[in-house]
Amino acid sequence: MKLSLLGFVLRRVGNSLHQLLWSHVLTTVTMAVALFVFGAFLLLQINLQQLLKGWGEQIQITAYLIKELSAADAENLRQRLGSLPDVAAIRYTSPAQAWRDFQSALGTQSGLLEGLPRDLLPASFEITLKPTYRDEPVVEDFTERLRKENAIASVEYPKEWVQRLSLIVLAVQWAKWIFGGLMFLATFIIVGSTVKLALVARRDEFEIMQLVGASEELIQAPFVIEGMIQGLTGAVLSVAALWGAFVLVQGEMPTLAAFLAPRSAPQFLDEWNILLVLAIGLLLGAAGSLFSLRRFIQTWKASASAS
Amino acid sequence: MIQLEHVWKTYPPNYRALRDINLEIDQGEFVYLVGASGAGKSTFLRLLFRAEEPSAGDIRVDGQSLAKLKSRGVAALRRKIGLVFQEFKLLANLTVVDNVALAAQVTGASQKESRSKAVNLLRELGLNDRHDAKPLALSGGEQQRVAIARALINDPILVLADEPTGNLDAEVADETMRLFAKIRAQGATIILATHDLGLVNRYGTRVISLRRGELADDLSRGESGSSAQ
Repeated sequence: MKLSLLGFVLRRVGNSLHQLLWSHVLTTVTMAVALFVFGAFLLLQINLQQLLKGWGEQIQITAYLIKELSAADAENLRQRLGSLPDVAAIRYTSPAQAWRDFQSALGTQSGLLEGLPRDLLPASFEITLKPTYRDEPVVEDFTERLRKENAIASVEYPKEWVQRLSLIVLAVQWAKWIFGGLMFLATFIIVGSTVKLALVARRDEFEIMQLVGASEELIQAPFVIEGMIQGLTGAVLSVAALWGAFVLVQGEMPTLAAFLAPRSAPQFLDEWNILLVLAIGLLLGAAGSLFSLRRFIQTWKASASAS
Repeated sequence: MIQLEHVWKTYPPNYRALRDINLEIDQGEFVYLVGASGAGKSTFLRLLFRAEEPSAGDIRVDGQSLAKLKSRGVAALRRKIGLVFQEFKLLANLTVVDNVALAAQVTGASQKESRSKAVNLLRELGLNDRHDAKPLALSGGEQQRVAIARALINDPILVLADEPTGNLDAEVADETMRLFAKIRAQGATIILATHDLGLVNRYGTRVISLRRGELADDLSRGESGSSAQ
């Protein structure tokens, strides 16, 4: 596009923003609300994933060994399991150590254990997996392999917790697109209505520009640019509002934040996620405008032919 | 310059606005298109600037078949045509000079260049002191001159005027017609639709008469009979 035409388009955009200021403000705020909802789910998802990762680090698989296993065989097994690519750490707990741990767990009630044989509890391994192997199906697969070991009597790990947390993350992921999608649809319709309002308000200009030989691109470009400006402004506002809400939650609810993320501070959207929100705003504005323009032009052509 | 071959225009369900029109108009001709309301004058003009397409037949303007034009081609065609309407079609929120300059700006001319050209045209048309006025502050004759200035700013090869004097009193209508004669003298082809036979008698050179969508007469000044093609 020639520079003079670009200048012409931008002047028309400026005029429209000035003339229909409140209509543009309303659309921008609507877009900001929709993108805020999407961004809030995104933020929740990121922090839940962080939480899952943190909890994953604390989740250990306990493999109980058969009674007949000698200390030497137990050591051999520990070395073999420790060399597996999945395993980050493996700790051997002897029956005597297990007994002491049990006693200290009982505290003042440890007298209840009087008279019981000291090798009652089996020896065990406490296995921590590497972060990349902490997904629920991978953990399940690993425990299955452990169960097949002849020297291992049983295997335990907090399967339900892992499953529940994974489900929550999955639900948030879907909710982000479902609620975000509904908001986007509403925004899309509202942007389209704003463009339609602008088109109706400027239909004389639209007609006259066609009559004097303006190309369709030249006539449509200002409306698309207006949509993109609205989308981008709405996205910037939504990110700013999210940041405000994030700081507020962190400041007002430190206990909740500490509970949710005991090992790290809650995270805000990273630069890629912020870019994603901005890009969605931009696309939503442009697509809403284009959709409405196309419909308006079709109706326009039909009514012009009929008149 | 303009050729129409077996041109028909039918509106649903079965209203024939134009019936089998065949004619040629040469470069530089001043043609009056006359006929009663509903005779098909406006439809004829709308077909020439591709506001509509014929139901059948072929129209060529400046050697180009209009049927083959895509959206960009239509825009390019209209940049070669100046359009003047009875209801002026000026933008109320723009000043007089901006209304005229708009037509140049859409072709890619800079704002400065367009305004300068518009100012010169307005001076030629006697609107020297009304540049910054809004159209609604002007009289009907002045508004029509602004519309004519807009039609002329891209140096059109063809000017189509649909009842340009319909909203003007007799004196201003005469003045407007003299203006069209002047434009024609500069080499543009002019087709002017009117039902004012007084004007035709005073200024007419070639008169094409439509009746119920059919070409009833095609007379050149000095001829005494019908020469419909």
